Amino acid sequence: MAIQLEQVSFTYAEKSLWKQTALHDITLGIPKGLLTGIAGATGSGKSTLLQLFNGILKPTQGTVKVLDVTIRAGEKSPKLLPLRRRVGLVFQFPEQQMFEDTVEKDLIFGPLNFGMSPEEAKERARKAMLEMGLDLALLSRNPFRLSGGQMRKAAIASVLAMDPEIVVLDEPTATLDPVSRAELIAQLERLCREQGRTVIIVTHRMDELLPVADRWILLKDGKIAFQGSGGELAADPDILTRCGLGVPHSLRYWHAIAGQFGLAGERPRLTAESLAELIASLPGTVRSGNTAGMGDAHE
Amino acid sequence: MNERLLLGRSIETGSWVHKLDARSKLTGMLLYVAVILLSDSWLSMVLLAVFSITIMASTRIPLKYFIKAAKPLRYLMLFIFIVQLLSVKEGDVLWSAGSFSLHEGGLRLAAFSVIRMLFLITFTALLTFTTTPGKLNQGLEGILAPFKKLGLSPDRITLMISIALRFIPTILDESQIIMKAQASRGADLQELPLKEKARMLVSLLVPVISSAFRRAQDLVYSMEARGFRMDAPRSRYHRLRWGAADTVFVAMFIIMGVAVALL
Repeated sequence: MAIQLEQVSFTYAEKSLWKQTALHDITLGIPKGLLTGIAGATGSGKSTLLQLFNGILKPTQGTVKVLDVTIRAGEKSPKLLPLRRRVGLVFQFPEQQMFEDTVEKDLIFGPLNFGMSPEEAKERARKAMLEMGLDLALLSRNPFRLSGGQMRKAAIASVLAMDPEIVVLDEPTATLDPVSRAELIAQLERLCREQGRTVIIVTHRMDELLPVADRWILLKDGKIAFQGSGGELAADPDILTRCGLGVPHSLRYWHAIAGQFGLAGERPRLTAESLAELIASLPGTVRSGNTAGMGDAHE
Repeated sequence: MNERLLLGRSIETGSWVHKLDARSKLTGMLLYVAVILLSDSWLSMVLLAVFSITIMASTRIPLKYFIKAAKPLRYLMLFIFIVQLLSVKEGDVLWSAGSFSLHEGGLRLAAFSVIRMLFLITFTALLTFTTTPGKLNQGLEGILAPFKKLGLSPDRITLMISIALRFIPTILDESQIIMKAQASRGADLQELPLKEKARMLVSLLVPVISSAFRRAQDLVYSMEARGFRMDAPRSRYHRLRWGAADTVFVAMFIIMGVAVALL
């Protein structure tokens, strides 16, 4: 397992009148090399959970095991610098967290802190830019002069430049346009499939992550409501409603088609293309046009 | 939210002080400052302590929260104590070494200064602990209303204060997010040496200030889009009501002031 949480609770401002427990008795495991989605209604504890993964927050109860590092509540935590190099955490609206005057300086900030030479750090920066599909000419630009999508990708690249084994992202596609969102998800999937990194993504848009996520963790009121494979989630979409989440369009379409054609038990088709192909291949269905003409990615 | 920042956060307990009109609490606080300045004997300090602790206890807010409010200024209090102790050369000599000496008057003034400051901070925290920022602003506006005739704009002043109060936790939260992002990339302030710590804090300024300006701009547009005009007459969601308890509250401070002045 890349990450294991055992009976973890987290309370903000634990010793004050304003204490607020964000996570209750969480036990979960996130396997290495897979793409895991985390979803839950607003205030369900998703962002708090992510910050436990690289020791930014420490549990107030229970044990967090990340790779070979164990952080126990109430005990002095080990040196977290090596862990933070191995677990890259991209916060929500990462572009707001850029602070240097050029993209390159921002990208080499992490590698330099982790003891790399300036040449090596610059090489890492260039590699991370290419991984995120960004033009190297942007390296000399001021990060605040980039477009919204470019800035978001540059911010993610600043974490990738540290070459982390685990990449954790808090709503990376929020506020992006549909094309940029699809591109970003595809790039994050490549990081997982082609480079073997463990990728964990918190999202409110389950539709865009359902086709690519291997596993899902659903939170409700700071507790685990579901953890399992995408297939298990697709088989019981009511769990999403119970968590206060809407059932994604792709899942509703799949269930409608599966019910109509008796496909229960088949691998769910959660993209417009794969569903169209399946429908076209079913005996007795009439092809009335080109699937490329179907509305948006989910319709 | 920064849990250590207690000043400016209300704690609802439903006590009689919570229910008072914000104007009476503000008036009480102004009188309290005068009482503190008038207190210059140990007896008046004891009286002040009994009075302050009784009122603080009656708010049903644990006393440790009042003390915590003063904690951030402990070094300033220590500094004032040392400066007073060393600079005042009145009364009997308590200790001397060569030309250097400590006097009884210096010790007394140093102690009084620290006690006064401690009372001032802990007791005035009562105002913000028992009054929400909105009601506090409304109270301030009510108190400043007579100054309209002199060309002063209470609206403008209270708007500035309410926006400043509103943005303190937001800016603190944003700073914390950036610090967490920097810690994630290997620059944890808690683990850095002092020189690096200072450098990192300076690097925080750019994104925090630019974000504050962006928010201020958004706020102006949003207020204008909703028809806000400075000094335009507006109805109030909560109306201030001055009751008998408010008169009693203010009277207590006046009596206290007279008592301290007579001692």
